[in-house]
Amino acid sequence: MIEIYLRLVDKILTPVIFLIAIFLFLRGHDMPGGGFIAGLVAASAIELTILARGAQATRDRYGPWAVPLAGAGLTIAVGAALLGMYNGGFFRSIWLEFSMAGEKLKFGTPQLFDLGVMFVVVGMAITYLLRLGEAAEAAVTEQTRLERQREDRHR
Amino acid sequence: MSLHPTVITLPVAIPLLLGAVGMFLQFMQFPRRLQIQQTLVGVGVLVNLAVTVFLLVFVLNGEPVAYQMGLWTPPFGITVYLDALSAIMLVMVALLSVLIFPFALATIDSERAQLGFFPMMLFLLMGANGAFLTGDLFNLYVFYEVMLMASFVLLTVGGTPSQLNGGIRYVVLNLVGSMMLLLAAGVTYGTLGTLNMAHIAVRMNDAPYLVQAMIAGLLLIAFGAKAAVFPVFFWLPSSYHTPHPAVTALFSGVLTKVGMYSMYRVFPLFFPWLLNQWQPLLMTIAGLTMVVGVLGAFAQPTIRRLLSFHIISQIGYMVMGLAVAMTPNPYGIGFGLALAILFLVHNQIVKTALLLGGGAVELEMGTGKLNELGGLVRLKPLQATVFFIAAFSLAGFPPTSGFIGKLGLLEVTFSAGQWAIAGVSVFVSLLTTMSMIRLWQYIFWGKPHRQPLTQRRQTAPNYAWMTVAPVIALVALSLTLGLVAQPALDMVQTAANQAIDRAAYVKAVGPTLTEQDLRIAPPEWGLTAASQATELAGR
Repeated sequence: MIEIYLRLVDKILTPVIFLIAIFLFLRGHDMPGGGFIAGLVAASAIELTILARGAQATRDRYGPWAVPLAGAGLTIAVGAALLGMYNGGFFRSIWLEFSMAGEKLKFGTPQLFDLGVMFVVVGMAITYLLRLGEAAEAAVTEQTRLERQREDRHR
Repeated sequence: MSLHPTVITLPVAIPLLLGAVGMFLQFMQFPRRLQIQQTLVGVGVLVNLAVTVFLLVFVLNGEPVAYQMGLWTPPFGITVYLDALSAIMLVMVALLSVLIFPFALATIDSERAQLGFFPMMLFLLMGANGAFLTGDLFNLYVFYEVMLMASFVLLTVGGTPSQLNGGIRYVVLNLVGSMMLLLAAGVTYGTLGTLNMAHIAVRMNDAPYLVQAMIAGLLLIAFGAKAAVFPVFFWLPSSYHTPHPAVTALFSGVLTKVGMYSMYRVFPLFFPWLLNQWQPLLMTIAGLTMVVGVLGAFAQPTIRRLLSFHIISQIGYMVMGLAVAMTPNPYGIGFGLALAILFLVHNQIVKTALLLGGGAVELEMGTGKLNELGGLVRLKPLQATVFFIAAFSLAGFPPTSGFIGKLGLLEVTFSAGQWAIAGVSVFVSLLTTMSMIRLWQYIFWGKPHRQPLTQRRQTAPNYAWMTVAPVIALVALSLTLGLVAQPALDMVQTAANQAIDRAAYVKAVGPTLTEQDLRIAPPEWGLTAASQATELAGR
């Protein structure tokens, strides 16, 4: 299942897709985007890796992180919501303003919450994509084995 | 005493946070991970119980509390609403989880524990708490989904073929119910233009009958499917006997009861007049649920299959209570709902006691098949006694809580002039008694057919008290409710009064009303429950 062209594409595109995910995440505050869609985009980069390098290699790289990442994301999201209690109530936002290079930057608990959502989505998506990838590879291996057997018999 | 309203979100936030930390620890390789996870869950259920008891005391002495998530203005933000009805449900579920936790701790096998059984308990708790607290129809749907996912994991963790089989039936049939709820939310938003429950209640007054009937019908199907009433109960008996007994006990105390709670919450709030108009329909559903459930129980070969049919049968009584909730009767409007709530509480206690007791027997003997059990009364006299009391409480014998609940419901039904359903419910009680005697006889009476697993394997049951103590506590609670009924009755009466007081709900949430809403409901929301009742009687 390891394809040379896909590996090239993977090498070039995966960083780009991750950058797009980060862009979407940052854009999400008051425009379309946000943690959920960013998480899905990041997961698509990982799916590309699965297609290019096989599920096993991908599992070695990302597998152990998947579920703890989702748990950490959930913790961050709830923590961000709980932080709001400092400012008047559950899920109330807190904003901090910075100025950097003449630009005003705003960071707040909604972004933290969104980050948590992104982690949950990425973690969950990796988990099931890896499972699906492994199942598909097993099926393909089985099919190739059967085909080879048939060819051998024809010879 | 005043209270910052954000406190009422804690029953959702605490289990969610601790569950998330537990999940974070999952798959982390370090020693004692399991112990840390279990401690987290233990702390979670205990803190949850403490918070909910505090909230219940607070609400019983005062007014309902509403909080807006993120302090957005009502019809736009998500509303969280706490009154005595939701507080009672919160406390009951918290109490059950506290009592089931030691049972699970003592009996769950290490494989299931490794797979993350304990954090999932917290997620189920969080879903149920959210469903009790939310004041937003779409949010209610979301919490139902949370519960569905958590319960699916709890059902299938361990992955035996029968568990997967039951789990798939459970999810598919429950998804149909969820779709109906989503559809109801969609129709509500499309016709009334709002999802906030208080706002819906205001706008429902002037909605055409067709819209009312459609929303009410969809909600009835959706919550009915969740509560396992007559035509849509199939998922329950085909899945409840498959998982670990602690899971079955947790489900019977939480899942179906959340469906019933949603009916008690939504119908008196949105369309109390429909409860009277549709009384024949609700009564038919209630009667059929009772009869089908109890007759099904007679044909069952194992402990938990038999008990899960009794869950369905008892749901029928709760629907009966809903049907007479708004009927004028000598005890005052809302007395029917109060008794329905009392019956719900009684049922949560007793059903969990029975399932835990039966589950302990099943785990100790290695089988739940009735014809392979027997003679346990000599081996386990204490278990036999508490199981006996719980069984007769389910059947409705004095001096247990079942007697109070059934007597009260019968009295309200009689005074509402519903003789037929009252007769059916008495008949079903008789059948329940027969079925319970049969069950007890099979398990505890006669000669022992086989040795307990513990004796055969020569291992001492270290944690025997952890499986018996919760059952004893629940049975003691049932007896207390039966002997000292007045405080409980006062409590549920307060809950029912708050639940049927639409005006108070709207005032507590206080959605920003548009011109149109003000025309529909002129500012005499100051309507008390009593004046509302006379208005309803006129309809």
